[in-house]
Amino acid sequence: MTRTYIAGIDEIPRHLNLWDNDELNINIVVRPGYTGDVNMEIDLLREGVKLDMAGIFLCSSAERINMNFTVRHLIGGCTSRQLFKGVVGGKSKVRFNGLVYVDKDAQGTKAYQECHTLLLDDSARMETSPQLEIYADDVECSHGATTGFLNQDEQFYMRSRGIPEKEAKYLQMISFLSPVMDRLNERQRKFILDNL
Amino acid sequence: MELIRITDLHAGIEGKEILKGINLTIGEGEVHAIMGPNGAGKSTLSAVLTGRPGYEVTGGTVEYKGRNLLEMTPEERSWAGIFMSFQYPIEIPGVSITAFMKAAVNAHRKAQGKSELSPAEYLKLLKTNMKLVQMKGEFAGRDVNVGFSGGEKKRGEIFQMAMLDPSLCILDETDSGLDVDALKIVSDGVNALRGPEKSALVITHYKRLLELIVPDKVHVLKDGRIVRSGGTELVEQIENEGYDSIHD
Repeated sequence: MTRTYIAGIDEIPRHLNLWDNDELNINIVVRPGYTGDVNMEIDLLREGVKLDMAGIFLCSSAERINMNFTVRHLIGGCTSRQLFKGVVGGKSKVRFNGLVYVDKDAQGTKAYQECHTLLLDDSARMETSPQLEIYADDVECSHGATTGFLNQDEQFYMRSRGIPEKEAKYLQMISFLSPVMDRLNERQRKFILDNL
Repeated sequence: MELIRITDLHAGIEGKEILKGINLTIGEGEVHAIMGPNGAGKSTLSAVLTGRPGYEVTGGTVEYKGRNLLEMTPEERSWAGIFMSFQYPIEIPGVSITAFMKAAVNAHRKAQGKSELSPAEYLKLLKTNMKLVQMKGEFAGRDVNVGFSGGEKKRGEIFQMAMLDPSLCILDETDSGLDVDALKIVSDGVNALRGPEKSALVITHYKRLLELIVPDKVHVLKDGRIVRSGGTELVEQIENEGYDSIHD
């Protein structure tokens, strides 16, 4: 099952219990112009369930976004994957708190979390704090976060083919966001492309 | 007719002078080769000619088709017909060859005051040029340079070159990392694009590329200067006696 939430349009559930689906895909889109909190807490309660979560956040001017995601593995043998990608420009400030909690009974857990951000301007701010809290010993967990600017070599390569700077940057953003974009349907993808 | 005239060019990176007074003129239809040991300034020269950010020109001029090349942005140089085959082509995940080249071709057409190609016209151009470098159909749908072998990357560069139909092709160590078969495909591609209005600057360490793309003139670059210019006999001399045998 796949659920897509667009912050500011759809109501994002604050808490989800995952005990009746084998697999749940959650997509979260934060579009330019949205200021506020995006909070979500998901408990994995049935053995073997899989949670696959992806998010895109786009800010272009002076948005303030506070994202808090908690995934709790309360039973063994579950897998959770989280991939967040964002483009932050202007004077926007974004905070991302991601917590993966693995209970002492949740043996055989696999949990992965990543958050990558592209800053478009020196005045844009990103604070990422990925956290793992693990109380079981048989687990496979990883988390990673990167924040950086548009790759200059990539940009030069495109411009040297005659692609104007502005369009090159647009293509770079598409390239950066593509792992998350690939998960969305065509209407949602268009929504993001129109908002870049 | 003269295509590009480089006069007393000084340039470097991070405050270090690498090019120390380059003089080089390439006429229309001519193929020039630049050979030189590591660190001679070969890649700096191609970077400066294509406007790579980070390189600083501290003296001299470059006149291209009667214009001041050094004042032009990288994309303006591309529109004016300069193309460089990168030594290390860049990977762009999530952007297909088709989308990438469409953006490039249409930007060129816009700069020339022409309308965009129709999907059918673009497809035809794509297919013709893929054939030139023996690329299969699925190539067009792949992400730019992602997961390409060394040979595929270089063939990809020649494909892009053919798509953009440049006046001056700069081949920056295109032969590095290529096996004999890939080298043959690449050089056949380049030779097929030679013509009375097409010029090339072939930068290389090795003789083998210049046996396949035969240059009109050969220049030896050492420590930021062209120390000798001549014909293909210079290639032989370097092969037999090394760069140490060539002085001012």
